[in-house]
Amino acid sequence: MNFPMTLSDISLWLAVMAIILLITTEIISSITEPQIMIEKKRLRVVALALGIAFMATVVMRIFQPF
Amino acid sequence: MCAQNQNTEIAPQKNVVENPKAKSGKANVPSVKVGLALLIPGALALAYAIIANSTTLAFIGLSLTFWGVLFFFFIKPARYVASSILASTALSEYLTTDRMLRHLQINGKAYYIPPYPKDVYLPQHLKGLKESVVFISASTSGMPSIEELAKSKFLLENPNGICVAPPGLGLLEQLEKELKRDITKLQLTELLEILPPLLTENLQLAKKVEIKQEDNGFYLKMVGSPYRNLYITEELKSIHYLGCPLASAIACAIAKASGKTVTLQKDNIVPDGETVELWYQLVES
Repeated sequence: MNFPMTLSDISLWLAVMAIILLITTEIISSITEPQIMIEKKRLRVVALALGIAFMATVVMRIFQPF
Repeated sequence: MCAQNQNTEIAPQKNVVENPKAKSGKANVPSVKVGLALLIPGALALAYAIIANSTTLAFIGLSLTFWGVLFFFFIKPARYVASSILASTALSEYLTTDRMLRHLQINGKAYYIPPYPKDVYLPQHLKGLKESVVFISASTSGMPSIEELAKSKFLLENPNGICVAPPGLGLLEQLEKELKRDITKLQLTELLEILPPLLTENLQLAKKVEIKQEDNGFYLKMVGSPYRNLYITEELKSIHYLGCPLASAIACAIAKASGKTVTLQKDNIVPDGETVELWYQLVES
């Protein structure tokens, strides 16, 4: 029973999620009268964290090709 | 009785967003429900993906779990209160000020006195100069001396008047917290650039805020402020002296950044019911 995703899969997943979240935060921030009342700062933090995690996997790929 | 009548005049506004936690428990918050709906199938899919060694199911499970956690823990709806409540809570302060003005027969002007920066050393007997205060003069006889202001007194005798905390003092502190800077350290032009987006986007206190520098003064235009109904509340005089908490916070900020005393010249309520215009003047002291 191994986890069925490789580091390459996780890297791809992180990239897709980071893009979705970053686009979402940008769209929400640009709405002057927002109808979606969510904590935008936290969403942005999560999006940036995912982006950084993706970059970390890229760096890992440079030093340890898989 | 009078106060009750005035209270009813503050009409509920349309842009009401209720605090979801105030009404009911955590489970009734929409994002928590969505979070649970994503988290449970996500966790199940992830578990099954490990058992069945399926990459596709692992992608689905991981995504569902991630969004579930995101909705459940991180992006809960922010806490908001109805904008009409904001104005109602401010009303009592203005009614109290009105009573004081009537009792002391004060008919002069309100002056926002610039405080000393927080990090500047002042001897103990001058510590009062670090507080943001509004001096309401009994007549148009002038400004109190620094010694008089430093005593942090309420009733001043030379010239006659009262010193009160500005209605927008709390809001000003909130602005400084958002800016992460002491406003006394900002240039006036910088402040005028920063303030409108800070009030509309960060604090969402108005739909539109416009501040323009005019000859020895400033013009402020606020659209959709929650305090706009205070200006049309009958018999409320102090609002025209001090401005609403938002206008008062802006006056305090201008006084702090310019280091000059600021006074409210006049206000105007545009018939659309949404827009309030104010004119401030800088006073050399």
